[in-house]
Amino acid sequence: MLPMLEGQENNSRGEGESDGRRLWAPDAVGNDSAASAAENEPMPKLLLIEDDKETAEEITTELGDRGFDVSWAADGIEGLAKARSGGADAMIVDRLLPGMDGLTIIETLRGEGIRTPVLVLSALGAVDERVRGLRSGGDDYLTKPFATVELVARIEALLRRPTESPDTVLRVGPLELDLIKRTAKRGERNIELLPREFRLLEYMMRRKDQMLTRAMLLEEVWNYKFVPQTNLVDVHMGRLRHKVDEPNELPMITNVRGVGFILRAPA
Amino acid sequence: MCAASGSSSVLLPDFARTTTFRSTLAIAGAFVLGTVVLFGFVYWQTAAYLTSSFDALITGELHIIAGESPERQLAHIDERLDNDPRRVRIAGLFGADGHRIAGNMESLPGGLTPDVPAAAVVVRVDNQGRETEKVRLATEPLPDGNILAIGRNIEEVAGIANIVRRALILSLLPAFGLAVVIGLVLSLRARRRLSEVNRRIQSIVAGDLRERLPTRKSNDPFDQLAASVNLMLGEIEALVHEIAGVGNDIAHDLRTPLTRVRARLERGRARATTLDELRTVVDQSIGGLDQSLAVVTALLRIAEIEHNRRLECFGQVQLAPLLREVGDLYEPIAEDKRVTLQVEVTDEATVHGDRDLLFEAVANLVDNAVKFTPEGGRVTLALLRRDGESVIQVKDTGPGIPETEREAVGKRFYRSDKSRNTEGLGLGLSLVAAIVKLHGFRFTIAAGPGCATEIAFPPR
Repeated sequence: MLPMLEGQENNSRGEGESDGRRLWAPDAVGNDSAASAAENEPMPKLLLIEDDKETAEEITTELGDRGFDVSWAADGIEGLAKARSGGADAMIVDRLLPGMDGLTIIETLRGEGIRTPVLVLSALGAVDERVRGLRSGGDDYLTKPFATVELVARIEALLRRPTESPDTVLRVGPLELDLIKRTAKRGERNIELLPREFRLLEYMMRRKDQMLTRAMLLEEVWNYKFVPQTNLVDVHMGRLRHKVDEPNELPMITNVRGVGFILRAPA
Repeated sequence: MCAASGSSSVLLPDFARTTTFRSTLAIAGAFVLGTVVLFGFVYWQTAAYLTSSFDALITGELHIIAGESPERQLAHIDERLDNDPRRVRIAGLFGADGHRIAGNMESLPGGLTPDVPAAAVVVRVDNQGRETEKVRLATEPLPDGNILAIGRNIEEVAGIANIVRRALILSLLPAFGLAVVIGLVLSLRARRRLSEVNRRIQSIVAGDLRERLPTRKSNDPFDQLAASVNLMLGEIEALVHEIAGVGNDIAHDLRTPLTRVRARLERGRARATTLDELRTVVDQSIGGLDQSLAVVTALLRIAEIEHNRRLECFGQVQLAPLLREVGDLYEPIAEDKRVTLQVEVTDEATVHGDRDLLFEAVANLVDNAVKFTPEGGRVTLALLRRDGESVIQVKDTGPGIPETEREAVGKRFYRSDKSRNTEGLGLGLSLVAAIVKLHGFRFTIAAGPGCATEIAFPPR
């Protein structure tokens, strides 16, 4: 079990939206065995390679508050040494570093067979830069400046690789998605889904209980390399929510205001 | 004037170091050399002709006299010498031992082959005295053992050489002088022009972008060069102005949300009484900051597209599925706004391009159309064929764009005043314009009720 994010707090106004603190809290799913396991499990270790001291302190504090054990390296050489010595569950690597470029660090590590997941941080937001970052072995790419919740959500996503089960039927609580027949059911109720909605739901079911930000969904489900002006994700997610959660049912898709969406089995 | 006042160097005056002057001198030199060779050739040919005609003359006479009786020979020689007012004839009859029998030659020069005319130096003796001459001379031994010699003075040939030399000097000196003067004038003019150009370039470098290079409307190469440079300067000036304008726009579009953020924070700090109120203010402020960041992101994106860096992603793109996909994407948004979004595909075109970018362009057009169409309106996304080319057309029943503003819309940051209160950045259409330009397609904002934007794909 992982430490959980605290959402943007105190936004209980607005229908269909929830107070992030309450719902996006550890183990709202109520899985007892998982919960007890979480207490024994050590804090996930993160390695942050970032040359700007202030940014690094900000990130370290924020992630520390959320239950991560962050160690910090201020330049490329030190970062590479720490990464080699192992121990980190995931790494956050700035692209422009003194001593050694962030991408070179990642390429070196990958070349040595070290597969620690890496989130690349960069002020270079251009699409091409992003592609280069991922190609050199990074697992995700985040452009500065970013919302802290976005960073946390992405690290959590890196640590919890999606369930790539060989099953052709995905299940979360009463929700059932048949990948072969392309059908969806909640309990006995059939849900009619458009292809895009099906993909969206599949993506969410593979990452249940996990905060999915709008940017993550745009990149992964829509394959967008740009940010549309209109909030497409919200509208499409709204559609999906109406289909998945009917008024008389307990909600499964939660909109954490200002952050993103979580799918979880009804408590 | 500039050239004249220029500091003269130790060895060469200023003008002499200009390229024009040097090349003029070189050409004049070549001209002189050519003329000298030509005159030399003329001289050589004339001399050869004269010599050969002298030779024919003396050989003929030699044979005639040799064929006569000894008495007649003497008489003939005397007669020949008497009838020679120009004193050019030479004749002599010598005994076998070499003593002179008749004629005006003092002695017979040695080294002559009988019957072959050759150049020789003889001493003429007659009633006017004794002098040495250059002659063509032919000899023939006679049956009685005497030797007959007939010759002709060749000083005329030297005279011709003199004439040629004089002609050469008379014609060459003025020509050469003229060449030097012309070279001087041309180089002075070029220098003056160059220093004028230099002066203006200095002032351009110093920041006066309105300055242009001088032209003389003569269409000479220098003028053509100046015209090209002026054209370039015009482009640069326009670009710099555009950048300055963009800078102002950026400042405006960034300052507006930042000002709001600042005001909100100030108000929140002064007025908020509860933590919740303060949090609301902070949330709003973060939203404002995000908006400013979005402006920067969009700008960088346009710059990225304009820098052509994505050509490697080009491939064959089917337009019909792309349109349907955009339609599917925006249908829910349109429906939420109670706007009808209709996709009409009457053409199946494939174009060469970057699918992601084209998708982005079309999505932006639809995004705009949906955004600016009031409730109950209609947006049509169509793929049609017109005049042999495929056209993607996005039509809406919104307020449209006035003709006077259509040009400006493609520029960065433009946002029609009517839509200032609608969310969104003024960058959507600039982005579309940049993408379309990168592909070599055509982007137009057509007239008509509402707004109609089109991307035309000229056949390759």
